[in-house]
Amino acid sequence: MAPPADPRARALSGRSVGTGVLIGVGVAGFVDEVVFHQLLHWHHFYDRGTSAAGLVSDGLFHAFSWTAVVVGLFVLADLHRRQATVPRRVWAGGLTGAGAFQVYDGLVHHKLLQVHQVRYGVDLLPYDVAWLVSGAVPLVVGLLLLRGPARPLADVRR
Amino acid sequence: MTGAALLAHGTATGPPAWLIAAALPLAGGALYLAGVVALARRGAGWPPGRLRAALAAAGCAAVALAPPVTARADTFPGHVAQHLLLTMLVPLLLALSAPVTLALRTLPRRPRRVLLGALRSRPARVLTAPAVVVVLELGSLAAVYLTPLYGLLHASAALHLLVHGHMVLTGCLVSWLLVGADPMPRRPGTPVRLVVLVVLAAGHAVLAKTLFATTPAALGAAGEVRRGAQLLYYGGDVIELLLAVAVMAEWWRRTGRRLRAEQRRELASPASDRSV
Repeated sequence: MAPPADPRARALSGRSVGTGVLIGVGVAGFVDEVVFHQLLHWHHFYDRGTSAAGLVSDGLFHAFSWTAVVVGLFVLADLHRRQATVPRRVWAGGLTGAGAFQVYDGLVHHKLLQVHQVRYGVDLLPYDVAWLVSGAVPLVVGLLLLRGPARPLADVRR
Repeated sequence: MTGAALLAHGTATGPPAWLIAAALPLAGGALYLAGVVALARRGAGWPPGRLRAALAAAGCAAVALAPPVTARADTFPGHVAQHLLLTMLVPLLLALSAPVTLALRTLPRRPRRVLLGALRSRPARVLTAPAVVVVLELGSLAAVYLTPLYGLLHASAALHLLVHGHMVLTGCLVSWLLVGADPMPRRPGTPVRLVVLVVLAAGHAVLAKTLFATTPAALGAAGEVRRGAQLLYYGGDVIELLLAVAVMAEWWRRTGRRLRAEQRRELASPASDRSV
């Protein structure tokens, strides 16, 4: 027999998207920090061209991104505890969040507020295009995953 | 913090530096242990996690006040290391150890009533309001690092002690507000606490990058200030990450209790909504 249409399960589909977005934004921020700042040293800690608004926006996004990972993981654990996780929606939110962060970082931080550039001493155009495409692709895939059936994990396993 | 101020300015006479440094954390740790022992004598338990947090707080404070650290507190990176330990990590561990709850359970009646009155007093309510905590914390940081105050600190031991004490206490307000192990009048819910944390962390990040960019001469040589600013940025991140985990762990336990209660209610009335 088909599982009963529990109204609470539908509500938690929204929460699955939300926790995915939080984790996605946080992971994108973390990758940005580890790969581009620490490992490649492409991004600079501070760029002389940074405006005050750029510094504040960068600080807020930085603080928000890793707080978001912690909150997202706790909410995901809570969804599992309630057996109400909708994996497809978690992925949808995660890809949307990571892609949106990447696009925002590329457009607002790198170009509009000039917090720092993708890389220094090179022709920036291909780097900026690659950056935006790497954000736009997961963003679109994430938005597509928002459509389609939203079955909780308990049913997927059944 | 007494030790820090004295040591930063050197004490030619008086007790040895390590003794002053060890006294405050030791006394605090001993007082806490006495409380736990008093509870145990009554047959009442005390969560071992809280005891561990208290001992870790005392240990971290001792490290921050130990001569190898204080000897470097005159350089900006050394100062930042001490700042991270004393005004961020130690307050977090202290807040997790719930010393106010322990005091309320173990104090005799009269001092207990005084403590309860203080907790419910108007000043306590004003000081623990989220907006006030944010303004106090970010305002103090800006005042110390972005005005000539930092230079004056090194000219006057009394001012040094006063400002350090103020910053440790402000750090405690932040941790107490966020962690939620101890009772607090009108403590805001988890979303508001997370917003407070993000705003404070963003403020720290902006301050660190501003110091990196402007390298105020009062803080030291430009290279040292840049190293200190990066330590402030990344070290602050680590502790703020721990704060976020503490906020969410409290949420996890609280919602878990509610969930179990709901499940028990459902089990008690199986016919109501399981008509499949």
